[in-house]
Amino acid sequence: MGGFWHSTRRAPVPALAVILAVSPGQVSAQIPETPREIVDYVDRLLRGESSSGRIAMEIETENWSRRLQLEVWSRGRDYSIIRVLSPRSEAGTATLMVEDQVWNYLPRADRTIKIPPSLMMGAWMGSHFTNDDLVKESQLIEDYDIFLGYEGDRDGVEVWEFHLTPKPEAAVVWDRIEYQVRKSDMMPTWALYFDEDGEVARTMTFSEYEMMGGRLVPAVMSIVPTDKPGESTTVIYEDVDFDVELPDDFFSLRNLRSGR
Amino acid sequence: MSGSVWWRIGWRNVWRNRRRTAITVGALALGFVSSTIMIGLSEGIVAQMIENGTDLLTGQIQIHQEGFKPERSLYTTVGGREGTDLEQLLALVRRQPGVRGVAPRVYAGGLVSSGEETSAGIFMGLQPDLERDVSRILEALEDGTMPDPGVREVLLGAEMAEKLGVSVGDEVVLVAPAADGSMGNDVYQVAGIFRTGAAELDNSYTLLLLETLQSLIAMQPDRVHEVAVAVTEVWAGPDVAASLEEQIRRAGIQVRVEAWTDFRSDLAEYAQLAASFNWVIVLIVFIMAIFGVANTMLMATWERRREFAVVRALGSPSTGVIRTVVFETIVLGIVSLGLGAVVVVPLVAWWSTAPPDLSWMVGDFTMAGSLVRANLRVEPSLEGPLISAVGLLITVFLAGLYPAVRSALQRPADILAGAD
Repeated sequence: MGGFWHSTRRAPVPALAVILAVSPGQVSAQIPETPREIVDYVDRLLRGESSSGRIAMEIETENWSRRLQLEVWSRGRDYSIIRVLSPRSEAGTATLMVEDQVWNYLPRADRTIKIPPSLMMGAWMGSHFTNDDLVKESQLIEDYDIFLGYEGDRDGVEVWEFHLTPKPEAAVVWDRIEYQVRKSDMMPTWALYFDEDGEVARTMTFSEYEMMGGRLVPAVMSIVPTDKPGESTTVIYEDVDFDVELPDDFFSLRNLRSGR
Repeated sequence: MSGSVWWRIGWRNVWRNRRRTAITVGALALGFVSSTIMIGLSEGIVAQMIENGTDLLTGQIQIHQEGFKPERSLYTTVGGREGTDLEQLLALVRRQPGVRGVAPRVYAGGLVSSGEETSAGIFMGLQPDLERDVSRILEALEDGTMPDPGVREVLLGAEMAEKLGVSVGDEVVLVAPAADGSMGNDVYQVAGIFRTGAAELDNSYTLLLLETLQSLIAMQPDRVHEVAVAVTEVWAGPDVAASLEEQIRRAGIQVRVEAWTDFRSDLAEYAQLAASFNWVIVLIVFIMAIFGVANTMLMATWERRREFAVVRALGSPSTGVIRTVVFETIVLGIVSLGLGAVVVVPLVAWWSTAPPDLSWMVGDFTMAGSLVRANLRVEPSLEGPLISAVGLLITVFLAGLYPAVRSALQRPADILAGAD
């Protein structure tokens, strides 16, 4: 009866982890030129050595819609914590990710539970992100062969469109990914995820490019599953700091419970 | 000559050698009785498999909102978005003839956690007093007590309890996506542990009171996912389901009512296979009988060869001889059938109400996912005696045909001249 977990398509893609760890990090001074370099640049644009921030997550489903206020911290690829600030009834609920493992702290029960591997594909907090999305950070250049599929004008904007096809040995579920990047500032605009039937399974769009923490980032990211066009999850950055100092024991179960 | 004359001749001939007739009738009646009983036993085993397969949890009929299966969405409750007056619906179902019990259920999927261990599970909310009329799941309580209303208590499957390392009195955390989009979670005390023997239930089901689960998943009190129904007679399941669906739809609720033949089609297929096997039983029993009867009739006609020759010599056609013999065997068959019926009715009545319990010999066992109790119950039905009767009449007809034709082919002059 897996259907009770709003089944979200498997997605070992940047998704939330990337966005939560939003940080240009060490954006190299060198200007990327090849498709591989450009995708890597965009990829790393959304990730940093460490970051902290506040985001809003708006979830629309056919049965309900809700808005979560979240506080997030991350360090490198492998560590992050997300804590719910509101709604009040769920405040304090927190998720710790260390490498490929996920723990949830439930303040109401005052217990921490580890998400079993069988439920990594379950939805995170009812959103269109899976638990798996949280821990699989972007490895685009490692997992995919990258080609330039289109270069030129789209609605008056100069863009690149990259086609990413999985390398034979890569453990990914997508048949391919298409990624559009604006030429002018190297900001991503959208990404399409294709399933094994060659159909678009979900669409991610980036918008509201703003300076945050001293860097230009897409402040709004929205994901729409193709099979439920009326549903979506939108992540809105309200405030982000990059390269923050986080102590070694910050990403611990104890800290998960204590609420910092 | 009118037909009744042949019957009369047959009747008279049957009683010319009473002892031989009595033995033949006895043998045929025995064949009829044993064939009826064997079919009854076979149907008894099938009926028990169906009862056991559906009694444990599913019931014989399930009512869901249209579209609940196969996704089993949390939101697809009976009555749709507006919900329904649950008491009224249950009363409507209960009034239906052939319905023995009605039980509402709520389902959710989630996590059960204790200490370091977390396991995915199916949460089932039920009303114990109603559930007992429909399923045996609550009888499987191995340890502890039923959950009390108003407190957060659960029943865990034995294998899950083992996996989580908890026993009665321990606490577990349940987490489940709730109907309002939030993540329902709370601490519950393990009130009891059940073991059904069905691995799927024992390692993934967690039972809660209906209202306890509804509160965990933020669901209103009159919202349920399923209404399970038990019927008095398993074979009537599909008919009762059809009329229930019609009535509930007429009340304006878009439900889908399924009988066990739909959601346990494996059992339905097995029942069909077993039914076709009934003919094999009849075939075997009466093939044995056919030679005995043919032998008797050969003897009876041999004795009367001069009589037939005289009749033929006086101008009767050979078909007359054939008729005489065939009608005689058919009368023999009808008499046997009468005797068999007199024996079989009380026998089936006794056997179906007080079946000998063989579990001391073989114990209970599982077959095709159903727990089978080893008692030899004869299922009373019309089909068994009917196809046995057909088998018997075909037998006597065929058994009579050969001696009849043989007698008709004798040349009267040779017989009367004593050249046989």
